[in-house]
Amino acid sequence: MEMNPLEAGTGRKKVALVIGSGGAKCAAALGLWQVLQEEGIQISMAVGSSGGSIYAAAISLGFDLHTTEELTLSLWTRDLMEGYATNLRRAMTGEARFNESSGLIDDGPLTERLRQAFGAASFNDARIPLYIVSTDFYTGESVVHDDGPVLDALRASIAIPMIIPPWQVGDRLLVDGAVSDPLPVDVAIKEGAQVILAMGFELPIRKRMRSYTAVTTHLNSLYMNNILKSTFAFHNLAHHAEVVLLLPELDPAIGAFSAEQFPTVIAEGARSAREQLPYLRRLLSTQPVD
Amino acid sequence: MNQPQNNRLALVIGSGAVKCAAALGVWKVLNRVGIEVDLLVGCSGGSLFATTMALGYSVDECIELTQRLWNRSITRKRDTRSFLKALLPQVFKFDERFGMFDDHAMLKNLRAVFGESTFTETVVPLYLVATDFHTGEPVVLDRGTLVDALRASISVPFIWRPWRVGERLLIDGAVSNPLPVDVAIREGVELILAVGFETPAPRRIKSISRFVFHLNSVMTNNLYRANFAFHNLAHHAEIITVMPDFTQQVTLFDTYLIPYVIQQGEHAMEQQLPYLQRLLGEIHSS
Repeated sequence: MEMNPLEAGTGRKKVALVIGSGGAKCAAALGLWQVLQEEGIQISMAVGSSGGSIYAAAISLGFDLHTTEELTLSLWTRDLMEGYATNLRRAMTGEARFNESSGLIDDGPLTERLRQAFGAASFNDARIPLYIVSTDFYTGESVVHDDGPVLDALRASIAIPMIIPPWQVGDRLLVDGAVSDPLPVDVAIKEGAQVILAMGFELPIRKRMRSYTAVTTHLNSLYMNNILKSTFAFHNLAHHAEVVLLLPELDPAIGAFSAEQFPTVIAEGARSAREQLPYLRRLLSTQPVD
Repeated sequence: MNQPQNNRLALVIGSGAVKCAAALGVWKVLNRVGIEVDLLVGCSGGSLFATTMALGYSVDECIELTQRLWNRSITRKRDTRSFLKALLPQVFKFDERFGMFDDHAMLKNLRAVFGESTFTETVVPLYLVATDFHTGEPVVLDRGTLVDALRASISVPFIWRPWRVGERLLIDGAVSNPLPVDVAIREGVELILAVGFETPAPRRIKSISRFVFHLNSVMTNNLYRANFAFHNLAHHAEIITVMPDFTQQVTLFDTYLIPYVIQQGEHAMEQQLPYLQRLLGEIHSS
């Protein structure tokens, strides 16, 4: 239990940045990051789940905004989905085997792009403590990564069920952090954050579903949105840390491959951050009660 | 019947397929010691048991009805058309009303047991939980025919197709609210007996449909824990959890294990009985 709620010597509160799952929409975190830099607000830790973990990692490793924008554009390109339809058909007919470590796309290119961006960086290299959340494939429990290669943690955290194959780290098979903890404010609370900036995204919900995978994707979204609401409601109620929730208002039609939309996504992230600035400043200027 | 005369004790039966039969073990113990339930809430598989209890059947009748409702007949026939739709979505006009099993046998069983009965015919107020297929929100059903509400509440994704009630397309309540204690809380009861189950995860995954099913189980469990943690913390009602222990794996189709499941429910309830009786005594004397 810390005696002094302020960080030793600095007199400032411990601010955590938590970026939830939301696929390519998580780029909105870059807008938030921009606003924090402009305002000179320093953060003490970055936490990410699923798509959000990429931005949490980039921010904590000290990537600049431009590099991270470039990374976003080169990561999510349409050709990642190559072979998807064929693989699905073969999996449905039983022509191709599909087991616990399978996915419907070849993850080679995606993993390679992550490798190019994050190389051999380890959690020790982070300038700001970094925590990435994935899920144990078998037990469904959330797994917090704070050690070892960042690449492993990222790859595990973004393993969208059925699409991107789960990822083995040590003796655990891991999938998408959104399966257990889509907006991991609990990690920031456990690490002693006093103010939590949580950027969350509800997954888009479809009106028409024309394929088996459209239905599975839709159901995953329903589950993940419901888990998001329930876990957030619980942690918000159970803990005393101040949580500032940022929910960028984005067109639900923005998909992973809407590269041309990224400027809009980032701008909306910045707007939603500015909206909360007065409140955030007030939180940062007052002394914590306990 | 929708107006409880007495708002003391609610029995909430969560999702858990065949394992929900453990609620009959709980019911057996309550009947034996003469504790009356004032409100019943069911979700998914739990809906079937909540409904038979709410209609006032005896424990033995409930067990017999369960066997008529839930047996091998409901999973005997695959839905070939659904399979073809999944395989060749354009040719067979794929839509969201997709399920691996033909639901005619299940509907026949439900109609044979519940006929045209409506919620107004229950002797204990009954609430069943389903999920809006499009928005993912929980939907509490407390009017209309029991068959409609049941068929909606048990529409396990990918196993049975969603069910339309009025304007809404509904699926399994487990997708939004696997153990709906909040419904009982909203109705203002003082004590809640919550019978909940974690969904087992298969160790071996050999096909894409198993993979999808496994993930749904994992997410149902996570939602179950998070929801329950929230409601347990947020509300003042006393919640007594009854979580039967199963040393044996009980999957969706293991209906032959029902006697064992009931027994485990009975054991779990007996363990909580002294506590429940003490709380009921306190309410009685206050």
